Amino acid sequence: MNAPSDRDLILLARRGEAGAFGELVTRYQTGVFNVCYRILHERGEAEDLAQEAFIRAYDRIATFDVEREFGPWIRRVAANLCLNHLESHKVTAELDEERDADSAELPEAVQEVRERSEQIRMALASLPAAYRIVVELRHYQEMSYDEIAAQLNIPLSDVKSHLFRARKLLAEKLHASD
Amino acid sequence: MHLTDEQLNEYLDEAVNERAQIEVHLSACGECAARLSTLRKLFNEMESLPELALTRDLAAPFMRSSGLPAQLPAWLPLTMALQAAAALIVFIAAAPFVIRLIPDIETPSLSTVLIQFQTQWTAWLDRLSQFHMPSLPAFSLELSGLYLMSALAVVSMLWLVGNGLLLRNQW
Repeated sequence: MNAPSDRDLILLARRGEAGAFGELVTRYQTGVFNVCYRILHERGEAEDLAQEAFIRAYDRIATFDVEREFGPWIRRVAANLCLNHLESHKVTAELDEERDADSAELPEAVQEVRERSEQIRMALASLPAAYRIVVELRHYQEMSYDEIAAQLNIPLSDVKSHLFRARKLLAEKLHASD
Repeated sequence: MHLTDEQLNEYLDEAVNERAQIEVHLSACGECAARLSTLRKLFNEMESLPELALTRDLAAPFMRSSGLPAQLPAWLPLTMALQAAAALIVFIAAAPFVIRLIPDIETPSLSTVLIQFQTQWTAWLDRLSQFHMPSLPAFSLELSGLYLMSALAVVSMLWLVGNGLLLRNQW
């Protein structure tokens, strides 16, 4: 028997089947957590806000348009939550260093990829919050300039300038670490 | 004159109208082509960033039971309609027999019921005290009775199978 579609799970969740929503969470939790992590770069907060995003989605499931794709929607809910979190807390938390304890046992090529990924994460995390959000929405959620402007309620010119400056900073940081 | 950083960014973001003009320039200008290549490499690196794994299951608060919910087959709701139709047919077919078999109902008084109950109870206790395994009686039913019993058995089976399928798909 085929796995139920997202639409089926949403309809079941609307009928009070919390487990159906749990299955949706299982499908999208890694992606949603990574949205939060790229913006916050703090694992505990990222997991908490990812959980909060799913709880809010569950509360709004009755009014969710089932013809809409759930994945992009929940990722945007998570990005908004992180944005609000950054604005309300003015987070200056120490950045996580995601390193694997057994990385010394990995092949050199794999270690290099991991180290480069970590450099990119650290470079992203060091950006101003306003830049991080725009980078997240453009590069990871594939939104257009206009969509980002509408989502963040900022002028189109700010979207462009934030994005271009963010990329310049990232290039400088990553070039410096090469 | 070289392309600006903004033009290169917008070109990669597919947010420019003058793509053809930019491409003409890029084909003729090595410096701008190199800058575009560097920027594209940055895009690729960011977008190929591997996803990190969670340390806890965010689905746990929503899970009341384990396992995937099974998708209900499209034909399953038909079994309910089938049950209702079968029950109606059997009811209509059985009505004449039931009416004939049921005697006129008299409403006894409470004392009569209690006396009957006591009599039955005493008789049952007497029979129990003298119990011995009876030989099985010969199975003989009139055609009308057999028809009625068969119909009831079919309805019962349909009911059980239908409800069994529905319950199996609950989770």
